[in-house]
Amino acid sequence: MPPKINAPFVEKVLVRFIREELGKCGCKKGILGLSGGLDSAVCTVLATRALGPRNVLGLIMPYGKAFPEDVRDAENLARRLGIRHETIDIAPQVDAYFTAHPTGSRVQRGNKMARERMSILYDFSAREGGFILGTSNKTELLIGYGTIHGDMACAINPMGDLYKTQVRELAAHLRVPAAIRRKSPTAGLWPGQTDEAEIGLAYEELDDILCGLVEERKRRKEIIEAGHRPAAVDRVVRMIRNSEFKRKLPPIAKLSLRSVGHDFLYPYSGRGPGVTPGSASAVLVRKHKTRASGEPKARPLTTGENKP
Amino acid sequence: MKVALAQVSPRLGDVKANVELHLDVLEKARRTKADLVVFPELGLTGYTLKDLVEEVALDPHSDPLFRKITARTRGLAAVVGFVEERPSEKGLFYNSAAFIADRRLLHVHRKIYLPTNGMFEEAKFFAPGRDLRTFETPFGRVGLLICRDFLHYGASYVLYSSGADMIICISAAPGRGVGGGDAFETSRMWELMGETMSYFSTAFVLYANRVGIEDGVTFAGGSFIFAPGGRLVGRAAYLDPELLVRRIDLAAVREARKKWLFKRDEKPEVILRSLERAARAAED
Repeated sequence: MPPKINAPFVEKVLVRFIREELGKCGCKKGILGLSGGLDSAVCTVLATRALGPRNVLGLIMPYGKAFPEDVRDAENLARRLGIRHETIDIAPQVDAYFTAHPTGSRVQRGNKMARERMSILYDFSAREGGFILGTSNKTELLIGYGTIHGDMACAINPMGDLYKTQVRELAAHLRVPAAIRRKSPTAGLWPGQTDEAEIGLAYEELDDILCGLVEERKRRKEIIEAGHRPAAVDRVVRMIRNSEFKRKLPPIAKLSLRSVGHDFLYPYSGRGPGVTPGSASAVLVRKHKTRASGEPKARPLTTGENKP
Repeated sequence: MKVALAQVSPRLGDVKANVELHLDVLEKARRTKADLVVFPELGLTGYTLKDLVEEVALDPHSDPLFRKITARTRGLAAVVGFVEERPSEKGLFYNSAAFIADRRLLHVHRKIYLPTNGMFEEAKFFAPGRDLRTFETPFGRVGLLICRDFLHYGASYVLYSSGADMIICISAAPGRGVGGGDAFETSRMWELMGETMSYFSTAFVLYANRVGIEDGVTFAGGSFIFAPGGRLVGRAAYLDPELLVRRIDLAAVREARKKWLFKRDEKPEVILRSLERAARAAED
């Protein structure tokens, strides 16, 4: 299993991470989608502790009347934390599209919904001058269980180095309401969907295999010897391999001596080229202003489809 | 004497702001009557520079911003981390540490071991230093190391053999591993080395790490001072900025060496001969 975390220490680090990554871009506000599930609840608590409730905006974006309990849980959490929140029904915009371009694919519809939510989040990000906080955990990122350009899109991600089972530990420490902690994890792509049924593995087993492959750098053979079903291990290996494109910028065809994505290399929170010692401050102030009033920095968006 | 470890969080790529930060901390330290102030690795520039390296590089003898710091060391000493580029070596950038005392630049150490694996990519952007030496200061003989240099224990051995009374390591060590106590698991690694080196070199070990976050990476803090014999004199907070000021007694070096005769019984010439053989064998 992934190592047990020292939850109070993790909270300290992540609260500082949210505060500093936003602060250095001159931004005080965090915006995130509230699904009523565990990951977004944990992220909301962290954001509230980092930025204060007035600086956190939770958008609850159900598709029509689907998932009423999740909407209720999300609204209760927002009220309990005292954050600003708003509920926006995405059905009209989703239906408008699928009326013109029908599909029988649940996955395709679910992905479209995830991207509609993303487009709303980014619009609010521009309206509010806030940063979008991502809620993808390490388990999801590793197996690619997320919609590219959808729920994976964010400005910063505080949770991406915590396995799902570790998020649960953190949730208990942060006193996330039991109603949220006890429900089955679901991407909410369609009613009755659960992550574990769709992935075909319980999170405990999945995290144990991932931890062996990633943290302990074990081979397939060693993980099977440790007691895992070969089919399960192979499935996890395949999911990791097939989702690398979701964790990277798209490859750029290299032509010049210095190309974006290859050898034009700058830190996220740093500055572009042209900063000289002594003149840096002026440049920074200007850049911060642009960012605060305009689009926040977006994380790399790559082309590609689908979940899972 | 009083030493101060300046556990600060520099602004990435902003030399001017960081010089101001250094000047502020120097004044604060001066008010505590500190004799020596140690700043972290790349304190004048931030760590995750990548292609910004060439834009923030400076010559400590002539750069007007750096000279502001030098000028502000009347009656005290400071160790400052910066990106070095000398006029005689244009286009070569070093991750360097300067020892300044009473407005004079006494020594510059260039980081030798540039971690370049996994999350680290220093050798992509920096040239490696090629020398280790100690130098005289108002507080005895001192040797400087930068971050990863300290984890290669041969480096501390050379400083010890070269007569160091004090080994100063400046660092920008990212924290990793959250399964332990109220610190990153990697903090233990540095403390273990600090304790060990101060124990067996019977010298002082000062370790100044930074705090703050760059591109998702959290610098662990936890700067410390060990007196000869592995005695912890003080440790700064993990994660948060602090100016750790402690009084140390340089006589402790002599005291420890009366008790533990490692220094007297050391045989650098045997080590050197054996090392030469080992190095030749490794080259074959």
